[in-house]
Amino acid sequence: METKLSVRNLRISFRTSNGKVQAVRDISFDLAKGETLAIVGESGSGKSVTSKAILGILAGNSIVESGEIIYDGKDLLKISEEDFHAIRGDKIAMIFQDPMSSLNPIVRIGRQLTEAMLLKGKARQRESRSNFNTYLKTLEKTMIESVAKGDSARAAKISENCKNFDKFEFKHIELEKAYKTAYESASETVDDIDKLAFELEKKSAGKDAVDRLNDIIVQTRATVNKYVVGEEHKDEVHSLAGSLMSTYNSEKKANDYPGTLKILYRIRELCKEGVEKEAPNFFRMGYYLTFSGKPLPDMPVGELNDYMKDYLDKEFMLGFISDAETALRYSANRSGEMMKKAIDELNAARPVFKRESLDKKECYAKYKELSATVKSCIDPLNVTKDSLTFTFSPSMKSQLDTYFHGIGANKKAIRKHDADQRKHDRIVAKGKKPEWEVAEANTVDLELIKENIERIITRLVDHYDELLAALPNRNFREETVGSINYLMENASGVIEKVTRRVAKHRAIKLMDEVGIAEPHKRYRQYPFEFSGGMRQRIVIAIALAANPDILICDEPTTALDVTIQAQILELINNLKEERKLSVIFITHDLGVVANMADRVAVMYAGKIVEYGTSEDIFYHSAHPYTWALLSSMPDLDTDEKLEAIPGTPPNMIYPPKGDAFAPRNRYAMAIDFERQPPMFQISDTHFAATWLLHPDAPKVDPPKAVVDRIRRMNERRATGNE
Amino acid sequence: MSNQETLLRVEHLCQYFKSGSFVNKAVDDVSFDIKKGEVFGLVGESGCGKTTTGRSIIKLYNITSGNVYFKGVRIAAGVQSYKDAIKKAKEDKIPNLNEFVAEQKKLIKEAKHDQKNCDREYSQKLVAELEAKYKPLLEKASGAEKDKLLKEYKDEVYKARRTKLVTQIQMIFQDPIASLDPRMTVREIIAEGLIIQGERNKKVIDEKVYEMLELVGLVPEHASRYPHEFSGGQRQRIGVARSIIMNPDLIIADEPVSALDVSVQAQVINLLNDLRDRFGLTILFIAHDLSVVKYFSDRIGVMYYGKMVELADSDELFAHPLHPYTRSLLSAIPLPDPIYEKARKRIVYNPLAEHDYSVDKPSLREVRPGHFVQCNDAEYAKIMQELGENV
Repeated sequence: METKLSVRNLRISFRTSNGKVQAVRDISFDLAKGETLAIVGESGSGKSVTSKAILGILAGNSIVESGEIIYDGKDLLKISEEDFHAIRGDKIAMIFQDPMSSLNPIVRIGRQLTEAMLLKGKARQRESRSNFNTYLKTLEKTMIESVAKGDSARAAKISENCKNFDKFEFKHIELEKAYKTAYESASETVDDIDKLAFELEKKSAGKDAVDRLNDIIVQTRATVNKYVVGEEHKDEVHSLAGSLMSTYNSEKKANDYPGTLKILYRIRELCKEGVEKEAPNFFRMGYYLTFSGKPLPDMPVGELNDYMKDYLDKEFMLGFISDAETALRYSANRSGEMMKKAIDELNAARPVFKRESLDKKECYAKYKELSATVKSCIDPLNVTKDSLTFTFSPSMKSQLDTYFHGIGANKKAIRKHDADQRKHDRIVAKGKKPEWEVAEANTVDLELIKENIERIITRLVDHYDELLAALPNRNFREETVGSINYLMENASGVIEKVTRRVAKHRAIKLMDEVGIAEPHKRYRQYPFEFSGGMRQRIVIAIALAANPDILICDEPTTALDVTIQAQILELINNLKEERKLSVIFITHDLGVVANMADRVAVMYAGKIVEYGTSEDIFYHSAHPYTWALLSSMPDLDTDEKLEAIPGTPPNMIYPPKGDAFAPRNRYAMAIDFERQPPMFQISDTHFAATWLLHPDAPKVDPPKAVVDRIRRMNERRATGNE
Repeated sequence: MSNQETLLRVEHLCQYFKSGSFVNKAVDDVSFDIKKGEVFGLVGESGCGKTTTGRSIIKLYNITSGNVYFKGVRIAAGVQSYKDAIKKAKEDKIPNLNEFVAEQKKLIKEAKHDQKNCDREYSQKLVAELEAKYKPLLEKASGAEKDKLLKEYKDEVYKARRTKLVTQIQMIFQDPIASLDPRMTVREIIAEGLIIQGERNKKVIDEKVYEMLELVGLVPEHASRYPHEFSGGQRQRIGVARSIIMNPDLIIADEPVSALDVSVQAQVINLLNDLRDRFGLTILFIAHDLSVVKYFSDRIGVMYYGKMVELADSDELFAHPLHPYTRSLLSAIPLPDPIYEKARKRIVYNPLAEHDYSVDKPSLREVRPGHFVQCNDAEYAKIMQELGENV
């Protein structure tokens, strides 16, 4: 699975007047494409801080002590604010906990919803244009290198082909866009009419019926297209749309709408027909119209498609595809050669980073050299980005920086710790009992960093070995089709213009999707006119409007009631499926986690204490804190007294020496107060940090409430399957 | 259950809010009663009128129509229904119109009187009781003993005059941050009710405050702190202490755990459960988390858009939900069971598609002992048939 976001060794603290609060202490996780990761824990466990770090909106008094957050080959903790503008809200969006503070109280809802769409629309257009141009140019260059090989006539032909591709590609997109608009209008009209007609028949249409009729009229007019509602129906459609409003108004008094319904049903019939028609292949059509110089031949759509396919293949496509395939193979082989070289260099560089104490100058020089080599391994014609190659340079740099910064900082930290210890001892010697404890010296583990560097190199070398092994078996024909699709996507991105009208239409559709009644009326209202649940829906709609890659949900449904919660969760799940969205879901409601999550990370006092798939966490949980969370929440079959977790989370200015959960833990052992437990691996996907998993630890059973619940769940499933 | 004493009875409660020409029927004809010592859960989606019902009972709003009886005394009454009846009668031109109008007007007058004077009458009753108790004692006593008795009597009367019947109903609010005054210490917050009710002895106040703090799991040292020094769960405990210091018979808990973490939620629920066992408290528990309501309540009422659509014992309701909205609500509860969760299908409730109320109006009917469903004649017949097959 493709990794979208990866968080490594993240440590965040906050400077406060009382001391440094360690909010996040060394957490690492990966987020794959199309996956939901739930982060569970009590308030103050560092869930929200982690998500804010990902979005680059940490408070001013925060210190990122170490770690990296890699997205799309960039380390989000190190890029500039300008670069972040392109990512925040567009690629990574967030739904906040408190809806009122994330809405502007003096701007109408409609404006707030469309603002981002309009702004991002332009930016995306520019980006698509540059992607398209760069890729086509690289392709052209590689084609000339690999196919023409110095033959100037051939090279000229290739250049012309690429130019032609550019030209007819845009023609194709234009045609397709016109068709799509008409098609979508038609299918939406069918849906809208179904809903409205039902209400009109029941005589219970709301006040916004007029707005909705207006929408239908606008949409109906937009359905006219050769391949949807044909030109022959154009006059009829226009006269129907024109008479709709007046008919409705005349019938409104009596609250009986036979005439309106008749018109609506006729429109529906026409649109339904249009939706069911076969669509022509616009790609082929674009080429035909641009270069044949003839109008389209008059034949049914199916035949037309075949006819144009022959034409396109003969004239252009087969040649272009074979050239492109050659170019792709050539480029892949070239980067393969570079990889071989890189493997040698990486292996040769290992000793430099293994010395007893690293030499600063030598290390940085080597790092620069390696970065350049690794960078040259990037295959510019490969559409899927190789994230390990991209992240090599920033992750190496951050490790080296931490190491050389740590040498000085460690001395300082140890000095401070010693001073504290002396002070503590003095107080004890006076016979008093100090209220505070001496915090452990906050040092950087230098050996660990060396190991990390070693791991980065090994990981990359292994990865390159794999790639090289796979190289002969790669299907370049398929990849060529992928590349052409990539070009097409970007071309359509250039054409796609977000006008105010489109944005409004989309906003109203979104509002409808998130379950806001009468969106037309609501569109013009201010945030204070909405109830809490409604405001939260608006916030969700705003987050979704930008069509993000990663969605961070910070307790989005905590303030909502079950039905709406279920709707919103379904909505997020559907969007995740449709758009291959990756979701980070922060919550303390385990029921919601079970519903949403593919994987779960349980956090306590800034650390991940248990990590696994949702099945692992719910059926085979291993950490006492997870048990406590599970048993403190009632479900429909709970009768006995709830087991609340005693006490409160520790003060993170003085992080406990051993396991942070030990003082509240019924199963705590002596070692829990002494040393922090490492992550024990339970299965391939399941990890937990508790000494109970140590081979020498006594065997304990989870609390009765948890065992009972798992038994009940199994029973329910068994009865359900019968 | 049926032999228990009814503590609170709500009859045809309506609460309308006017906004311009549009009337928002927040609560529309809701009736239920709460027995002494039981926990009555009220569930429904946000905006369905749960909170409004709670607030109407405690007289934070003047109700539009209907009656609320607490310990058999009418504490709130609305007049809209009588006015409507008069209007309708005038339109229909019924025979002996004048008599009818006079009768309705008398009812209106009574309702207004009760609405306004129930507390005063209650305190007058208390004062009279005190008088009856102390008069003979005072006559018998003499000298220093008499002075002491006199002082005691005056104190008691002072308190009785300030006592309201409604203070025996107390409320716990949803948001522990917003419902505590940030400029008052915990002692002041908890003691405020006592002072308003006429308690002037500082020592008694302090004692009671400390007792309450210990009861809800805090320590007396906390009394001099301010609300912002506490965590969410502790703040909610202060809210609970503030309401139980008045020695209430009925507590209206308006989403007391919705804003809290799971672990803290469990602490507060356990606390309420303990208090309930200890004092025999009666609780009207308003919440939207059905798992919690199921765990905590004896009976549950389901509300939808201002109407009570189903009312039954909690086990009965979860085992045999009859109203389509209840079914939809139950199907939306998330459970901590991933495999079940991913297969769960939510039932969507669309009132327009489910019911045809254009001719036959629905009402709340008893389909089984103690199980009420909002339905019309056709639906009633269908439900009875279904139940007949099930039984």
